[in-house]
Amino acid sequence: MQDGNAAMGLWKDWRLHAIVLAIVIVTELIGTFRIKVGPGVVLLLPMLYALGIGIILYFTPAVKERQSVNAEPIIVLGVSLLLAKIGVIIGPSLPEVIAAGPALLLQELGHLVTILIALPVAIWLGMKREAIGMTHSIGREPNVGLIMDKYGMGSPEGRGVMAMYIFGTVFGAVFLGLLSGLLATITPLSPLSFALASGVGSGSMMAAASGSLIAAFPDLETQIVALSGASNLLSLSSGLWVSIFIALPLTEKLYGWMTRKKEGY
Amino acid sequence: MLKNIQEWVLLLVIVGVSGLIGNWIGYDIFPLSALPGMAILIGICLAGFILKEIIPLNFPSIAYISIIGVVVSMPWFPGSDKVVEWTTQVQLLALTTPILAYAGIAIGRSWSDFVKLGWRTLIVASLVMIGTFLGSAVIAEIILRFQGII
Repeated sequence: MQDGNAAMGLWKDWRLHAIVLAIVIVTELIGTFRIKVGPGVVLLLPMLYALGIGIILYFTPAVKERQSVNAEPIIVLGVSLLLAKIGVIIGPSLPEVIAAGPALLLQELGHLVTILIALPVAIWLGMKREAIGMTHSIGREPNVGLIMDKYGMGSPEGRGVMAMYIFGTVFGAVFLGLLSGLLATITPLSPLSFALASGVGSGSMMAAASGSLIAAFPDLETQIVALSGASNLLSLSSGLWVSIFIALPLTEKLYGWMTRKKEGY
Repeated sequence: MLKNIQEWVLLLVIVGVSGLIGNWIGYDIFPLSALPGMAILIGICLAGFILKEIIPLNFPSIAYISIIGVVVSMPWFPGSDKVVEWTTQVQLLALTTPILAYAGIAIGRSWSDFVKLGWRTLIVASLVMIGTFLGSAVIAEIILRFQGII
């Protein structure tokens, strides 16, 4: 809440809070749906409908520009409540989280795998240096800051990271929410591994990804929340450093190497 | 500072009320039973915000909130059993619904930027997400198996 002063009087926006309450009531009444996809399950959770309905309402007269602007700082407060809840789940299971420490730390490097997969495809599709900004990370706020700082606002790299940022903002939670339930049910990997992977460094994406896991494996709820919460904290605190010292240099090298090879033919 | 605290409390209570009603409809937990847990969560958030204001370190409030949450629920902390018992009544998924409702309303403004992204961007961005998620999961799986945890 750095701009606490700019955010005064938001509680008075009754129109916004009433709309959110109405969305909560409707989406929780609809409840969770499980859709079988082959051997796997896609979970449709109330929070995903809530996101969709929120976006749709923005284009109706019910939501004015003012509500949309006011909603943004309230997300931070909501995420704070969520993190407090995750904290009190981690507390009692701290020994288990510490036992999973090595996996917790090393899976952060899994974020680098994406460069090996997405960068070649981006180049193959004809992207130029935009590809560097897009594929070096999942492009959350710290990554946007890093790229803007290093290459500048109007640079191709800057356009790339902004595209990733917009995609993640609008679609990230839904995408990871649907993906995690499906992957955890069709692949032989443990739900706990996916719980660790859910902490990508964004509160809403983690909530959606781990939420699907909880809905699919209710018996493992405590462990899933504890591991994904701890992993998300680690991603938040280490993500920028991994980007600066490993991910971005690696992406640059790989890009240089791949484009040189291409020109050689 | 006092005015800030008032603003935070009011907003947390508003989000909390939406959460309690979702908790009731979606998870059959009567709001009164979940009220003590929600009050504790709001208290933890408030403590985190206040610490961030008091302590002159560039440390985000969400880090304080997470740490306080972990500490007050550890078995040696006095009253932690009550903290855990009460907050268990507040379902995690019931908290996420109002957050994403606010997020959706805020995201509406980014929608026009989103639809301008080309199909190439959509493919690459999807791969970035899948790669990050699956990459982390595979590494976690290898280590957890190696440690014998799963």
